[in-house]
Amino acid sequence: MNSLQSHAIETPNEKQNRHKAMEAIKVLNTLKEGFKAPPKAMDYFYNLFEDVYCKQKPLHKDKVKVGTMCIQIPSEIIYALDGVPIRLCNGFYTDDEIGSEFLPQKACPLVKASVGHLASKNLIDKPDMIYSPTTCDQKTKAGTLIKSFGYDVVDVDFPRTKESEISREFFRRSIREFSADLSLKMGKKLSRKKLKASISKIGYAQSLYHRLSDFRKNRAVPILGNDMFLVTNAFFFDKIDNWIDACEKLVDELEQRVKDDIHAGGKISPRIVYTGSPPIFPNYKIPIIIEDSDAIIVADETCSSNRMFNDRVAVDEWFVNDMIDSLADKYLKACTCPIFSKNDDRIRRIIELVRSFNADGVIYQAFAGCTVYELEQRSVLEAMEREGISILYIESDYSPSQQGQLSTRVEAFVESLKIKNRNKT
Amino acid sequence: MKRIRDFIHKADMKRFRFWLQIFFFVIFIYGGYFAINLGTSIPVFSCGFDQEVGGMCYFLPLQHQLARPLDVLFSVASISVLIGFVTFLLWFIVFNKAWCGYACPLGTMQDWLTGLRKRLGIRYSTYTQPQFNKLKKIKYIMLALVILSPMAVGMGLLEREWVTAFCSICPGRMVTPLFVGDTSQWSLDFSSKSAMILTALGLVFTGLFVVGSFVKKRFFCFFCPMSAMHYIFSDAALLKLKKDGDKCTKCGDCYAVCDMQIKDIADDVTSTNILRDDCILCLKCVAACPEDDALHVDILNMKLFTSTKGGFEKRMGMQTYKGAADE
Repeated sequence: MNSLQSHAIETPNEKQNRHKAMEAIKVLNTLKEGFKAPPKAMDYFYNLFEDVYCKQKPLHKDKVKVGTMCIQIPSEIIYALDGVPIRLCNGFYTDDEIGSEFLPQKACPLVKASVGHLASKNLIDKPDMIYSPTTCDQKTKAGTLIKSFGYDVVDVDFPRTKESEISREFFRRSIREFSADLSLKMGKKLSRKKLKASISKIGYAQSLYHRLSDFRKNRAVPILGNDMFLVTNAFFFDKIDNWIDACEKLVDELEQRVKDDIHAGGKISPRIVYTGSPPIFPNYKIPIIIEDSDAIIVADETCSSNRMFNDRVAVDEWFVNDMIDSLADKYLKACTCPIFSKNDDRIRRIIELVRSFNADGVIYQAFAGCTVYELEQRSVLEAMEREGISILYIESDYSPSQQGQLSTRVEAFVESLKIKNRNKT
Repeated sequence: MKRIRDFIHKADMKRFRFWLQIFFFVIFIYGGYFAINLGTSIPVFSCGFDQEVGGMCYFLPLQHQLARPLDVLFSVASISVLIGFVTFLLWFIVFNKAWCGYACPLGTMQDWLTGLRKRLGIRYSTYTQPQFNKLKKIKYIMLALVILSPMAVGMGLLEREWVTAFCSICPGRMVTPLFVGDTSQWSLDFSSKSAMILTALGLVFTGLFVVGSFVKKRFFCFFCPMSAMHYIFSDAALLKLKKDGDKCTKCGDCYAVCDMQIKDIADDVTSTNILRDDCILCLKCVAACPEDDALHVDILNMKLFTSTKGGFEKRMGMQTYKGAADE
């Protein structure tokens, strides 16, 4: 009798939390202990992820949380209206499996995981409203699906070409609509002063990312690519002030590391530019395999990292409408998302990253089911070939299997880069 | 050396330009009081109707010189026309269109009106792209008027009043002398039909100039024949606006700050020489570019001023946490 009473049955949510905690802690332990000593300032981020994903500690209890489905929703406007942007892109296999119920088997794991997470209604910082830019097909459809779960979801129109003047005007309008809608829901007027302050603040946060990135241009790279992914992923949900403080400390520490000539990789580790479907915590499957195979990621071109921070906003007269227009232009015109009809900008960016970070090769990863990245693969490969840049294309998903096969391919590629480097010298 | 370069690249361009514009304004408008005379071939609208002008707009003498019979115009007698033109070119070639952005008194006046509007908290207006594409051709029509109208007078096709037809309708003729207290240009000339038409148009354009540049940044420059004339020779100029397309991410910051709404500055990633006919070389785009060396001004292929991350952060108030950009 007694034993029966003490035997509590695990609820589905508890099970989900337990599984996610296991996924999270496995990756965090690998980052903490699987590599050379990480910078001390990284502890903030390790603890943050552990608190949020293993201990389910909410960060924004008393704030209005605004969920975003993609990077094209200007967080500057959300902060200016005293909301907290929470990016809902998800990297958990546990959530991916839940999402499989609602989406086709061959759908993108990122979308499935995001849908699954929201379907479970088991969220640590539950968004009060969700804005869903109509980017790729799957994200667009996911927005409507999520609405059916009972969330307040608003579609934000996003054009699929960006060269034309129509698209520029279209998205400027779209962002104006968005800010009007949000300001109505928040019961606040978007003020000039506050928007300017939040543009400056985000701009400063972006500058910190730029500084961190610049350290990776050195021959001795002071930080692992995986750790950098963790830093940028934290921006999805962290309190921005804390994030800024932590990054300032990281900048200082990396500066010292560069002076001391501390290299996070091995002596002859090839330098890799990572591109393709975004690695989102804890799905660091491919980045970990890469850095486990004695290569080091020096730069990336993904929407969970570089693309969030690279482009900053300039405004001439700092009126609300000027700021909104300039924000809209940045989020549309500088975006290198593969959903656009042309991808010249993404190719140019990858080449520029390879050159400026002195990289030896590119690893292009696409989630099985992430159609747009799969579609673009060919043209990117051709462009890299033209430029004489080595590139490896791999497909993966969120499942913990197929590790062996993937690591064999990555190791072979890394080995070939090493041989190339040896022949050069 | 590095420190000097750093200082230049992080310079507060707004303030630098503001003071340089005042400096040139004083030289051109009040130059006479200081016995400054830079000649009559100046490639900006420093109007010759201003009694104290410190260097005259090239168009006034040019129109007078062109108003002669064709056989005289194409003879040795016109060597003086050629000398005037060569002087104009020499002035122009050094600074390229920076004449517009930094030295033109009419441009400076427009910037002051813009400043006034900004103070009042009124947002500027813009053209849509199709409007822009149509309107930008007007300056070439104006240039044709500057050149063909006096020639037609020389050939006896038009009355004498048409020699300086452009000057008659140019807002500079009416506005500039006001700064030295001369209001004599503010009148309708009823002496002949042509004079009446031209001075009436002049009044209309002056009104448009004041209202237009209050609402739209650098309203008049869009229609300026001097700007058209500059563009014809700008390839030969020493000062050049260059773009490194590989480094451009098309974020549109340069376009957002461009007074002249030049779209190519953000969208064209193949041209290295990015100076367009409407450009006034104010360098706001370079100052607003957040990428290292994506936009730069070169003199004889030496980088004079280049876009830098650090400079961008400083100018946009993104250097510190609590920072806010200066107004």
